[in-house]
Amino acid sequence: MSMPGEVALEASGLRKSYGRLVAVESLDLRVAAGTVLGFLGPNGAGKTTAIRMLTTILPADSGSFTVAGVPHTKPIAIRRRVGVLPESAGYPLGQSGEEWLRYHAELFGQSRADARDTARRLLADVGLADRGPALIGGYSRGMRQRLGIARALVNDPDVVFLDEPTLGLDPMGQAQMLDVIGRIARDRGATVFLSTHVLADVEQVCDRVVILNRGKVVAEGTVADVVRQAAAPRHGQVKVPPEQLDHALAALARTEVHAEANGGGRLGELELSMPAGLELEAAATQAIKSLLEAGVPVLGFTLEGGRLSDAFLAVTEEV
Amino acid sequence: MTLDAKPAAAGSAARAGRPSWLVVADREVRDLWLGGRALILLFAYAITLSVTTYLTATNEALNFLEQRESVSLTLQVAVAIGVLLTLLAAADAFSGERERGTLESLLLAPVSHRSFALGKGIAALSLWFAAFVISVPYIWYLGRGVGVVRTSLLNGLLVGSLLACTMVGLGLLISTFASSNRVSLSVSVFTLLALFAPTQMPSSAQRGWFGDLLLRADPFTAGLRYLGRVIINARSFAQEGHWLIGPAIVAGIALVLAIAVAGRIRLGGRE
Repeated sequence: MSMPGEVALEASGLRKSYGRLVAVESLDLRVAAGTVLGFLGPNGAGKTTAIRMLTTILPADSGSFTVAGVPHTKPIAIRRRVGVLPESAGYPLGQSGEEWLRYHAELFGQSRADARDTARRLLADVGLADRGPALIGGYSRGMRQRLGIARALVNDPDVVFLDEPTLGLDPMGQAQMLDVIGRIARDRGATVFLSTHVLADVEQVCDRVVILNRGKVVAEGTVADVVRQAAAPRHGQVKVPPEQLDHALAALARTEVHAEANGGGRLGELELSMPAGLELEAAATQAIKSLLEAGVPVLGFTLEGGRLSDAFLAVTEEV
Repeated sequence: MTLDAKPAAAGSAARAGRPSWLVVADREVRDLWLGGRALILLFAYAITLSVTTYLTATNEALNFLEQRESVSLTLQVAVAIGVLLTLLAAADAFSGERERGTLESLLLAPVSHRSFALGKGIAALSLWFAAFVISVPYIWYLGRGVGVVRTSLLNGLLVGSLLACTMVGLGLLISTFASSNRVSLSVSVFTLLALFAPTQMPSSAQRGWFGDLLLRADPFTAGLRYLGRVIINARSFAQEGHWLIGPAIVAGIALVLAIAVAGRIRLGGRE
């Protein structure tokens, strides 16, 4: 198991193309051990291809990487150190969950007795202890995803790659999955590489974020860092007396804050967009101060933090 | 409920597991037999053999064959269909996993791809041996009284095993590259028919060095011809064994090639 502070995953200049289509142009990454990394990007950004290269399923055209300190030139040694829940993973419907886990545990070199123990323990860990002997064909989608996570953990991996783990799950299934993901990092100390489209999931469980677009990293850091890097607009709402709306708009026009009346201004509500270059608090202070100086009473004020969804759109639309 | 790393099984004191090819073979044999696919195929096989045996042994109007010829014909049918079953199983090996979306999980295991090919090949071969066991009573029934039961069964097992190895190698090879199961099965069956074609050639086409080479190089033609000669003409292995050189070489090449090429298996088939 990697120790905190160590580098769990490092990639440099990783590239993969399919004919003329460049799936990953140049991937440079450095992920510290124990991190839960959100790996984001629009459809076709190259997330799955990147994961397949990092897990040695696809050979890279060029570049290099290490996973848990193992260089890419040793694919079998890398596979011993990683666990993967592939995107849209299939399952042998005619096998029981326990049989399938035992099989994979044995493929990782465990004896039959150890594989049985591992399978039962992991089934219990993901909340499927009572369904272990049942055929996978009878599992719900959420149960199959949890079984897939259990399979990814049979070798007690240093790095766990999860490709769209909440895809197609109902809200309850998504919540269970996020709980499992959080526990992988917390209880096992593993590094989690979470590829998803669900930005709320990322905000909930990820320490750091990487946004990929057209095969290149376009933003990287904590959620706050990425929002700041992306210069994504931040929002707020202010409520003034409806009859003073025009006066308020005129006052705000003299600041760096962009203001628009909500719902035609009948309720006196204004939507504020904070400029990206200005600290959120400074922009808010500036807006309130200008209103008060203009003699407009402020009846209410709310401020939203930077949103990852705004940052995501900002960095993926501008290319 | 926790997800603690608990390396009781994965730790240094863990007991050593079985070789990966054996783990794969074990799993594949279970899937093939307990999943019911092998039983259905063998049921159809048994029905075909029953009909063939009935026609050759009891139907006066159709029974124009001598008893030795009846044994030879039935054995040839048993071998041909038995090895077809192995081809069907082998052709499903990788393309089936690819189609069911389970190939990626397998390729993520720290196991050489050749071990998967070996394990899956062994499982496919199990179908031939089961088919052979089913054919034993039919051959015994037809061959009793003319003293060819033992010869027929031993040589049938030998020829069938060579052809089954060829079919396993061929099926694995095609399955490694086929993007879907349908493609894999279609190409496999087409190839099988192509291999049977020389057996149907007119005798004029079998003359000359090329015709002779074709007969000996084609594993089906050579193998079935060998069976006919040792059963009907009561020839010995020493006299007719040269017919098996071609099938043995082809079987060896097919298996070696299949195992070698399996190292290049890709998620999406041919890329």
